[in-house]
Amino acid sequence: MIRISRRAFLASLAAALPAAALVRRAHAASVDELGASQRSMRALGEVILPQELGAAGITKAVNEFERWIAGYREGAELLHGYGTSTLKWAGPTPATAWAAQLNFLDKKAQRAHGRAFADLSIEARRALVQSDLDAINADGIPPLGRAPHVALAILAHYYSSSEANDLCYMAHIGRQNCRPLAAQTRKPLPLAQAHA
Amino acid sequence: MSWRLGTRPQVIESDVCIIGSGITAAMVADRLARTTNGKIVVVEAGDEAPPLGARYPLRERYLQYGESPWPHDHLEGYEIHGPLQSRSMQVGGLALHWGGVTPRWSPEDFKTRSLFGVGTDWPISYDDLDPFYQEAEILMGVSGEQGPVEMDPRGKPFPMAPYPLTYNLEQLQEWVKHAGIATWSQPTAKNSRPYGGRSECCRNDTCEPMCPIGAKYSPDFTWNKLRAANRVTLYPRTLVRKLVLDERTKKIVSAEAMQAKRSGGKSPTAIEFRAKTFVVAAGYVWSSHLLLLSANSRAPDGLANSSGMVGKYLAGHRAQSAFISLPLRLYPGMNGQHSLLSKQFMRSPATDRYLRHDLRVWESSYDRGPRLRNDSGTLMLGDDILRDWRERTKTGVARVRAYYDVVPDRSSELTLDATRRNSYGDPLPSLAFRDAPESAALRGYSESTIQALFARMARAGGGSVLPARGNGGDWQDHPSGGCRMGDDQATSVVDSWGRTHDHENLFVVGAPTCVSGSCANGTLSFCALALRAATEMAR
Repeated sequence: MIRISRRAFLASLAAALPAAALVRRAHAASVDELGASQRSMRALGEVILPQELGAAGITKAVNEFERWIAGYREGAELLHGYGTSTLKWAGPTPATAWAAQLNFLDKKAQRAHGRAFADLSIEARRALVQSDLDAINADGIPPLGRAPHVALAILAHYYSSSEANDLCYMAHIGRQNCRPLAAQTRKPLPLAQAHA
Repeated sequence: MSWRLGTRPQVIESDVCIIGSGITAAMVADRLARTTNGKIVVVEAGDEAPPLGARYPLRERYLQYGESPWPHDHLEGYEIHGPLQSRSMQVGGLALHWGGVTPRWSPEDFKTRSLFGVGTDWPISYDDLDPFYQEAEILMGVSGEQGPVEMDPRGKPFPMAPYPLTYNLEQLQEWVKHAGIATWSQPTAKNSRPYGGRSECCRNDTCEPMCPIGAKYSPDFTWNKLRAANRVTLYPRTLVRKLVLDERTKKIVSAEAMQAKRSGGKSPTAIEFRAKTFVVAAGYVWSSHLLLLSANSRAPDGLANSSGMVGKYLAGHRAQSAFISLPLRLYPGMNGQHSLLSKQFMRSPATDRYLRHDLRVWESSYDRGPRLRNDSGTLMLGDDILRDWRERTKTGVARVRAYYDVVPDRSSELTLDATRRNSYGDPLPSLAFRDAPESAALRGYSESTIQALFARMARAGGGSVLPARGNGGDWQDHPSGGCRMGDDQATSVVDSWGRTHDHENLFVVGAPTCVSGSCANGTLSFCALALRAATEMAR
């Protein structure tokens, strides 16, 4: 019987699997890792999203972000723009880096306060997030897929939504939703008082 | 014939063979199907487009992830040199993802040499094209209103009522009026009511790149109708590599093509399309490209090219844009792809030197998005971001843009690029746009005059022009030309009907036949030209 090393076995296994399948598994593993940090992610959401959303609104925004990252497809063909023959493809999953950053926030919390990130006060959590964002010279809310930090990714996801737009203007604009054409002549109706 | 020895292509015979399935091909096929009994065959290099029913989820992936809502709408290995308008090749062409903007060009566009001493007069007038503009508007379904008659002449009303102005556009229209500029609702190939078996627009506001409900016209609807009625046979994934000249006459006898299997299939199949009439409706790039690729011993510089003009005089128009901050409460997102239009500057030049341009005004969220740091650079999180965003959106922003007329140079051209070839070994095209000297000399003046207009508009509303990065660069939008029309065989490729001077049964239609590119979106004009050409084909 031929004996092969574990390393050789893994290498031959990797060669036998289509590259796309491996990529999909790596992405799924990163999404799982993010999912396992759901408590930290929600705690992060409480720091960076508007309190005006309320607890339920923040949970909803974080859940929707999680759904977004779960649906990310590496290598998907992106919209190709005008004026060029260059094609573009979705890059590697950002979930890996974002999961690591969430873990790092937790480690920093343990180191500084002896507790998990989610167990810290809002102010303490805010200070940790702020130091991370200052460290990468974050100066704006970037396009979601290119967000260099998980905090920016959650912000980018929420603030690109139609709901956020409505909340800013305190009006039922419903950007990019199906709405009656005739109604566009009227000033958008105000949001319900609960939001005010 | 250039087929390899021992291979026998499938032969398809028809009365008319249309090469390309974009919007001008659809117009030609529709008119021929209505006015003749001939057998019509359409050959398209790209694959079928996703059906209407699949578009909502595709749009959602585009909105969420930026993915192309038209997956696989291109041929592999077609990275060409130069400013290609789009890689898209699919049944329906670029007008699957167009914005549906359909202004007519101005009467002056067709006689700039006679009126202003610049450019070249067309062999037809606006009045010659007016009925075909009307026909194109009916076929597509255009919603619109006529502007002041002296600015916006037309023979008949639009087939549909105009798009109502959004609350935002009503505010902006009042502002622009203060600057002495008349504007009206941009005509658009989108349904302001149910029309042509398609639904009324419901402001999904992703017309470009995809209308998920079919309220915006795209050529696939015409193909669906004509195919269901057995009036055309369409061959997707079929690349025409060469048109073949009869050995004795100057007629075209066939088009040699290769049909690819669906992805993962076997090697391509050779097809020979034989027809009485051939119509090249492949846009400003692939029409000239095919004629040049079809060179033979009797036409060593390419078909229809005795003038040497195939691929020359690529045309278009350049843009100047600005964002203007205004003391108005606007609500961006109501219907951002709809705009106001003015043709006030498209008629006779208002200044001593030649400058004609259109003007459009949109709502915008430029410089009014949420931000991470305030003016002093302090990081904001939580409520601070929303509070800052609300404060900054108490005033609104308008986007303004003017396309201005660029006179093309002869050296504005498409050539064959021997260094880049497709999988069959055919050279790919290379594109270069160049202004005629008279136009190049006016460029600085044109752009500074338009920017001065924007500044004047801002002042009229008590606002200011916001700093912005870049401004259009060299890109010329709505490209056309390459097979320009004319009465003189020595200086043009086709006559005013799109018939090539050299080959009586070969037509080129739409964008490539344009003499110049006007200063407004071109698709409706390309369609009107194609419909006019189809009347000659049917004679």
